[in-house]
Amino acid sequence: MGSAPRANQAGGSASPGAIRDVVDYELLFDCVHCGLCLEACPTYTLNRAEMDSPRGRIYLMKALAQGALELDADVVRHLDLCLECRGCETACPSGVRYGQLIEKARVYVERNWRRSLRERIRNRLIGEIFPYPRRLDWLLMPMRLVDALGLRGTLERLAPAALRNWIELLPAARADAPRFPRAAAVHEDDGPGKAVAVHEGCVAQILTPSENANSARALEAAGYRVVRLERTVCCGALDIHNGNRKRALAFARQNVRELSRCGAEAIVSAASGCSAVIASYGELLREDPVWATAAREVSSRVTDLSSLMIAGRTPFTREFVAKVTYHDSCHLAHGLGIREAPRALLRSLPGVTLVELAEADLCCGSAGSYNLTEPEMARALAARKADNVVATGVDYVILSNPGCELQIAAELRRRGSKIRVMHLADFLALAAGGGEARGAR
Amino acid sequence: MQKQIDPRVMAELREILDPAGVVSRPGELNVYECDGWTIEKSVPQLLLRPRSTAEVSALLRVLHRHNLPFVPRGAGTGLSGGCLPLAPVMICTSRMNRILAIDARNRRIEVESGVVNLNVSAAVKGAGLFYAPDPSSQAACTIGGNIAENSGGPHTLKYGVTTNHVLGVEIVLPDGEVVELGGSIEEPCGYDLVGAVVGAEGTMGIVTRATLRLLREPETHRTLLAIFDQVEAATRAVSAIVASGIIPGAIEMIDHLIIRAVVDAFHVELPLAAGAVLIIELDGLGAGIDEQAGRVTEMVRASGASEVRLARDEAERALLWKARKRAFGAVGRLAPNYATHDGVVPRTRLPEILQRITRISQSHQLSIGNVFHAGDGNIHPIVLYDERDPDQVRRAIAAGHDILKACVELGGSLSGEHGIGVEKINQMPLVFTPEDLAAMVELRHVFDPDERSNPGKVIPQPGACVEVAAPRRQAAL
Repeated sequence: MGSAPRANQAGGSASPGAIRDVVDYELLFDCVHCGLCLEACPTYTLNRAEMDSPRGRIYLMKALAQGALELDADVVRHLDLCLECRGCETACPSGVRYGQLIEKARVYVERNWRRSLRERIRNRLIGEIFPYPRRLDWLLMPMRLVDALGLRGTLERLAPAALRNWIELLPAARADAPRFPRAAAVHEDDGPGKAVAVHEGCVAQILTPSENANSARALEAAGYRVVRLERTVCCGALDIHNGNRKRALAFARQNVRELSRCGAEAIVSAASGCSAVIASYGELLREDPVWATAAREVSSRVTDLSSLMIAGRTPFTREFVAKVTYHDSCHLAHGLGIREAPRALLRSLPGVTLVELAEADLCCGSAGSYNLTEPEMARALAARKADNVVATGVDYVILSNPGCELQIAAELRRRGSKIRVMHLADFLALAAGGGEARGAR
Repeated sequence: MQKQIDPRVMAELREILDPAGVVSRPGELNVYECDGWTIEKSVPQLLLRPRSTAEVSALLRVLHRHNLPFVPRGAGTGLSGGCLPLAPVMICTSRMNRILAIDARNRRIEVESGVVNLNVSAAVKGAGLFYAPDPSSQAACTIGGNIAENSGGPHTLKYGVTTNHVLGVEIVLPDGEVVELGGSIEEPCGYDLVGAVVGAEGTMGIVTRATLRLLREPETHRTLLAIFDQVEAATRAVSAIVASGIIPGAIEMIDHLIIRAVVDAFHVELPLAAGAVLIIELDGLGAGIDEQAGRVTEMVRASGASEVRLARDEAERALLWKARKRAFGAVGRLAPNYATHDGVVPRTRLPEILQRITRISQSHQLSIGNVFHAGDGNIHPIVLYDERDPDQVRRAIAAGHDILKACVELGGSLSGEHGIGVEKINQMPLVFTPEDLAAMVELRHVFDPDERSNPGKVIPQPGACVEVAAPRRQAAL
C-alpha cells in the first residue's frame, strides 16, 4: 500500500498523447476560453499569468493531449500550483468539470514525471503518514512534549526553514477546546431522529479532534441520531490531489462499504474537504463493478453540519455575544455548493453578529497538503485571507474545514492577532454554553 | 514571417523587469496564442508583464530602438482577436491592477489599466456609486481592454459605452513617451484626443492609467421577463418600448437556442419552448417606476408576449442577469467552440436581420444562437462549431462574414462593442471607402508613425481587403 503509482496501470509508456488515456479528453473541450474563471482562481489572482489560471491549465492539458507540448518542468510547475479549490467551477458558465480534469492530469504527471529527491521524500512522508491517524499521533509525540515545556517558540526559531513551515501550522494542544453540552433528553414523541454519520477523516482525528465530537453532539442536540462508524479510513483527498489514484480508490471502496452499512441517511464530516470527496465517490467509482451503485448512493447523502442544524430543532437558547465572520471553505462552497446555510445558522444564534468577509470564498492556501508542498503560494494566500479577516474587526472567524483553520490561525498567530479561528462545530459548542476557549491561538 | 528577437534585445528587456515579468519559454507562451476569439491563433515570441508606467515606458523605448512591433493585452477576454499576437512581443497589463484614487464627491476614480472592470464598481459601492459599462466579461476583463475595444454591455442603452465614461488616459506611445490626454475635468477644451484613443484597439500605444466617470447607483430597479412564442414579436416589442419614450436601463433578448443553454447552466425558469425572451430593466427613482413598469408590461403584451414576469426580489433579478451575462459561456454546453459576432442594425430592422441569420445558419449548416442588446440594435449571433473540424472552422468564418455583410446592407455597422480586431478586419471596406481608411491611418500615425503598436488590427492592409478571412494558423488539431 502507498507505493508510488509509477507502476503503470494504463499499460502504456510515457509516449506523448498518453494523457488522453488518463484525462477525459472530451471534457477539455467544454472550455470555450471565455476567461470568466480568471479572477476566481487564487493563483491567477496573485500571479496574474494565464498559465496559472484554470483556462491556461486546461490549455496546457489540451496541448499535452494533442502532442503539441511535452511534459516539462514548467508544465508540472503550473499544474502543481493549482490548489484544486474549484473556485473556477463556480465561476464557469460552461460547466467545465475542472476538478476532474486536474485530478486526472495529476495522475498523468505522477506517472510520467520524475520528481526531485526532495519532492519525493516530502510526498512520501505526506502519503505514508497523514492518512493514518495512529502514525501521525506517534509522530507528534515529541511536539506535545515541546508544547508542554513551552518551547514551541524556541523550536520554531531553531528549525530549518523547510521544517519551520510544518511546525507553524500545528495547533497547540487543545485541552481547552469547547465541548458541546450534552443534549437534553429527546422527547419520546419526537420519535427517532434522522440517522447521521460523522465521518472523522484522518488528520482531523489527531489535530482537531474536538470538531468531530462537537459535530456529533450538536447534531444530537438538534434531534438527530448519530450512528457510530467502525472502520472508515481517510477519504482519499490527499491521494486524489497528489495523483495517487490507486490508493484513493481503495480508500473510497472501504468508506463506501462502511457508510452504506451504517444505515445513515445523511453523512457529514468536520472536514468539508472530506465531505466533497465522499460526495464524489459516485463519480470516482463509476466504473467499479462492485461498488458503483453503493458509491452513488453514499455520495447522494452527503450534506454538512449547518444544513442539518438549520433543519433540526435549535438547541441554542442562551445568548452568546460575539462578532463573527465566515470563511467559505472551498470544498463546501465550490464543491458542495453550500454557502448560505452556515451563514444563516450563525445569524440565527442569539447574540451573534455576522459580518461578511471580503473575498470570503477565495482559497486560504491550505488545500489539503498544499501548504506543505507549495509553501510560498500558500503563505501569500494566507496573508491575503488574514488581511481581509483583520479588516472585518471581528472576534471570531468561523469556517468548516480543519485545514483552513490551521492555515488561517497560523497566519493570524504570526501577526499577533487576537482574532480566534474556530471550526463551526467548536463555535456552536461555545455558543451553546460549552466552555470558553482561551487563547489557544 | 515575424522577425526573430535578437538575444541582446531580449537581455535588455529582461533587465527592466523582475524575473516573473518575463515569459519566454514556448510551452508557457503557447497559452497566450489567443483570447476569447479562438478561431485564429499565433504564439508570441516573448511576453512582458510590467508593473508600472515607468516599466512600460522603458520597455517601449527598447522596442522602439530596435524597431520591434508589440501587441498589448489585458485579461485576454476579447471577442474579436484584438490581442491576437501578430507581433513578436506581447505586453500584458494584468499586473498593473492598482486603484490609485477615488474621488467620490466628484464621482471619478483613477485606476491602472489592468484593473478588472467589476473591481471598479466594487471599490465605490460603499459610496453608492458604480461604473456603468458592464460587458458580460466584467468579472475578468480589464479597463485597459475596455478602453481598447470601447466595450459596452447591457446597460449601454441608457448609459452609453466606454468612451462616454473615460475622462482621461495616460498612454505610453510606441516610442516610450508617456502622454496624458484629457484629465479629470468633465468638459475639456480642444480636440477630444481621449476619444481618439478609446476604441483604437491598442494601435496608438499602451494605455497605462485612466480616470473614469462614476454614476450614482439608481435608487431602484424593476426587472421584467417577457416570454414570446416568436422572435419577431419580441423585436416588435423592443421598438414599441423605445418609441414610447421610456428608456429602460437595458433591453436584452435571448433566443430559443441560447435559452436551452442558460436553463441548463443556471437553472433559471425559462420555458424551453419559447421563441425568445426579453429581459427589460427599468431603473431610476422609486417614484413612478411601477407605473412605467405597468406601461411596459402593457406594450409588451400588446406586441404578443405570452407571459410577463416581474422579478420579485434582488435574488430573482440577480439570477436573470447571471443567466444573461454568462450566456456566452453557457454556450460551451452546446458546442466545443463558438464565435460571437457583434453587428449592429437599426432597431427597426431587427426582424429582418434575424431572418437573414436563420438563412445564413441554414446555408452554412451551422447552429447560430442569438443573445443580444436588443435596445440598441446590437446583435450577438453566436456561431457554434468544433475547432477540430477544419471544414466547420471555414464555414464558421464564412457565416460570420455573411452576417456582417447583411448588417451593413440593412444600414448597420460591423461592431457594437467587441471591436474590429482581426475578426472583422476584412469587412472594414464594406463600411469605409479607401479614402476613409487612409484618413484613419493618418490619425494613427500621429501616435504610432511606424505602425508598431498592435499591427494587423482594425485597418486592413491595402490589397488584402478582398480576401475572405485567412486564419494565420488554424486551430490546433
